Amino acid sequence: MNDYKFTSDVVIGLEIHMEIDTKTKLFCACSTKAKEPNTSTCEICLGFPGSKPVLNKKVIDYAIRMGLATKSNIAKELVFSRKNYFYPDMSKNYQITQYELPICEKGKIELSSGKVVNLTRIHIEEDPASLVHPSGMSSSSYVLVDYNRSGRPLLEMVTEPELNSSEEARDFMKQLVNILQYLKIFDINEGIIKADVNISVKESGYKRVEIKNVSGFKEIERAVEYEIERQKEAVEKGEDIVLETRLWDSEKGITKHMRLKESESDYGYILDPDLVITDITSDWVKEVEENLPELPIERAKRYVKELKINGEDAKVLTLDYELSEFFDAVAKKVNPITAAKWVRRELPRVLNYNNLEFHDIKFTSDHFSDILELLEAKKITDNVAKKILERLCEKGDFDVKDYVKSEGLEAVADSGALEGIIKQVIDANPKAIEEYKGGKEQSLNFLVGQVMRQTRGAASAPEVIELIKKLVN
Amino acid sequence: MKISEYIKKVQNKEIDIVSYTKEVLEKIKKLNEEYDCLIEISEELALKQAEKISKDPKGKLAGVFVSVKDSICVKDVNSTGGSRILEGYKPPFNATAVQNCVDEGAIIIGKTSQDEFGFGAFSVNVGVEYKIPKNPIDKTRATGGSSGGAACITALADFPHISLGESTGGSIVNPGSFCGVLALCPTYGRVSRYGLIDYGNSLDKVGPIGKTAEDVAIGMETIASYDKKDSTSIDKEIPNYLEKLNSNINGMKIGLIKESLDSGTDKNVKDVFNKQIEFLKSKGAVVEEVSLKKAIDYGIAAYYVIGTSEASTNLAKYCGMRYGKEDELKGTFNEYFTNVRSKYLGDEAKRRIMLGTFTRTSGYRDAYYIKAMKIRTLIIDEYKKAFEKFDVLISPTTPMIAPRFDEIEKMTPLQHYMADVLTVGPNLAGLPHINIPIETETMPVGFMVTGNHFD
Ligand SMILES: [Zn+2]
Repeated sequence: MNDYKFTSDVVIGLEIHMEIDTKTKLFCACSTKAKEPNTSTCEICLGFPGSKPVLNKKVIDYAIRMGLATKSNIAKELVFSRKNYFYPDMSKNYQITQYELPICEKGKIELSSGKVVNLTRIHIEEDPASLVHPSGMSSSSYVLVDYNRSGRPLLEMVTEPELNSSEEARDFMKQLVNILQYLKIFDINEGIIKADVNISVKESGYKRVEIKNVSGFKEIERAVEYEIERQKEAVEKGEDIVLETRLWDSEKGITKHMRLKESESDYGYILDPDLVITDITSDWVKEVEENLPELPIERAKRYVKELKINGEDAKVLTLDYELSEFFDAVAKKVNPITAAKWVRRELPRVLNYNNLEFHDIKFTSDHFSDILELLEAKKITDNVAKKILERLCEKGDFDVKDYVKSEGLEAVADSGALEGIIKQVIDANPKAIEEYKGGKEQSLNFLVGQVMRQTRGAASAPEVIELIKKLVN
Repeated sequence: MKISEYIKKVQNKEIDIVSYTKEVLEKIKKLNEEYDCLIEISEELALKQAEKISKDPKGKLAGVFVSVKDSICVKDVNSTGGSRILEGYKPPFNATAVQNCVDEGAIIIGKTSQDEFGFGAFSVNVGVEYKIPKNPIDKTRATGGSSGGAACITALADFPHISLGESTGGSIVNPGSFCGVLALCPTYGRVSRYGLIDYGNSLDKVGPIGKTAEDVAIGMETIASYDKKDSTSIDKEIPNYLEKLNSNINGMKIGLIKESLDSGTDKNVKDVFNKQIEFLKSKGAVVEEVSLKKAIDYGIAAYYVIGTSEASTNLAKYCGMRYGKEDELKGTFNEYFTNVRSKYLGDEAKRRIMLGTFTRTSGYRDAYYIKAMKIRTLIIDEYKKAFEKFDVLISPTTPMIAPRFDEIEKMTPLQHYMADVLTVGPNLAGLPHINIPIETETMPVGFMVTGNHFD
């Protein structure tokens, strides 16, 4: 840290723990998916005397994927160490991790602004068990230990201290999750991703404070925002910033002192003598590379080439894995160009309006393609389509086709029926007709509005205007 | 009766194995009252296995009685590594070496006494309130260690028997030498460590102890296997050890380790040993001196640094939570496990935990742990060089005969550690070595042969 010459107001580095989505644990054959406490355990993940760890090679494949996607240097050898400390969630009172030689070094992740953040390292380690405090963290007189999590595979990523704002920290996490999803090594619904955030401000001479275990994009942004303010205020009041570890209290929205910072080397690391040093051959890396899932750039190229979507749309659609998956599903059912237009433009507009994030939505790509199918068949108008979309964002899951029918939203494509409605409106509003004839344009708008109300938006506005003009004259 | 003849008789149902097992169990109980060589006699298991064999007398070890060092897991039988802190730990699985024996029709008779977790050369560093085994030839003397109970019961057994021992720094050949039995420590990786309660994982090896070369050969052939459950296990063809027993030594090039006959070795040991060399020469072997200065001078230091560094992390898991000894739940987690460990770990275990924690702590790690790892590589190189010239290397197994308990009491911890001076070399280098007992009018002397990897 002292090697850096910081200049910016705020300096942030992240240490992120990501649970990697494999079927079995890192060193035993237990499932990673069990829910009922202590149902997925064996002599290895419980640390029974006599048991020995056996490496799950899948985790190495996944770590290499991560290394390739972040353009990291991948180590030539796989070395595991024991990190020693006593804690009730540790089955062996040491954690098998990587110390001297992490599997990846010197990688990069690009933020949405185009700024490149350097990664110090990515390494593999086992997750400890989880502690359950039966009546809350502070008031329980005892804890229960659930070993289902013990030995699940984690990747730990350490960034260089190159992030300079809470927004950048949040965006970094977003980009990271995006990569994990593209690589298909992370379960977005079940997987846990947590960050330890190191923050320092110019005012204190960049004294580093760590906030432990923050999860969720919004939480990271909030925690960082709070901590920056706290440090700045403390310095202003003439207080010392100490090198410490703090906890993020999400409910109160504050960070609290936990302990003074320990240095990494106090853990008495030794090489884990139960695991042999394994060569990571170039053939191995090549094999992983050949089987690498489609990444954003390739996917965008495919969209342009196969789906005939313009380059700009393709780029935007592939930036977010989930959005891209959503688009893929929709484009299989309707014209991809229509799909692209609606997924890229209309969907974000409605989400934005409702103050929602894409991953908050409760409807599926099927709902979305139902709307577009009706639109393509000219059964509903653009307007109705937008309104249904808005309603989906509010209410979530309902059957789009049934809704259109029951609410009579089908486009009045039949001009005979539409003419009937217009005639009624004309008859009912003689005053407005007179004014319109007298040259008052607003009156036409009023009449169109009346027709729209009667048809609940199911008519197309230009057509209505044309018909009114025709009938009035 | 030779063990191979006995096995044939069992296979041919010429022996009533169930009643013979009962007879053997009674014998063992009596012997144990006198010598304390077993921590646990697995009567129930033995009888169950005997029943099974009586119906289906199959396997390389059909009907052979096998005793197992306490640090090697036997399913559902107390396996405590000789430590009070693991009292009540009944592993839910067999160690692979044990499983191999069971699969070949062996009858497991019990768990042999040892230094707690293997921490000793005389089996006097037993767990809190465990009993110290006595030498089968002279009860006022030690059995050697740490597989003392194993060598002791082997010497005493007048029934077909093999013992499974374990060596980290000499714990198989050393008690073999003191009790006058054959004891083989194989190449590291040859026998699976799965189910072995760890001392120093990069050093620990399971090996057979027997009365005759044939016993040891059959035992070795049974327990040697490649095992996916132990990542350090090596996938290499297993030779027919029995066939190799009658090899001729005419023309064999033997390296006599020069430093092993220095002043640190007792004169009576040297005399007995030198007579054997004359015998070998008379059989046509070419004996020449070879210097293994690094192994002898730095071996002990490197061994104790690496062994205790690893041991101190291995023993961390014993905190009275998931298995073994529990205590009243009182205070914080730190207070609880400190109390449990203070009460139920012996002095030598505590000493080695402290030593091993120190040698890997920041600030000392480079000076001790990292340096010891480098010395280990140099020692391996030194042996490799010696094997370019020689087929085998020889030395006494221990620089002394079995000491009396009153002599041991006067020794400092360092003098205890020096008992391993001749055996830590091959253990650090992972080389196979065997103790061949030489009978004398008083106590036996051990003759150690070290081979190249997998020889
Ligand atoms: Zn498991």
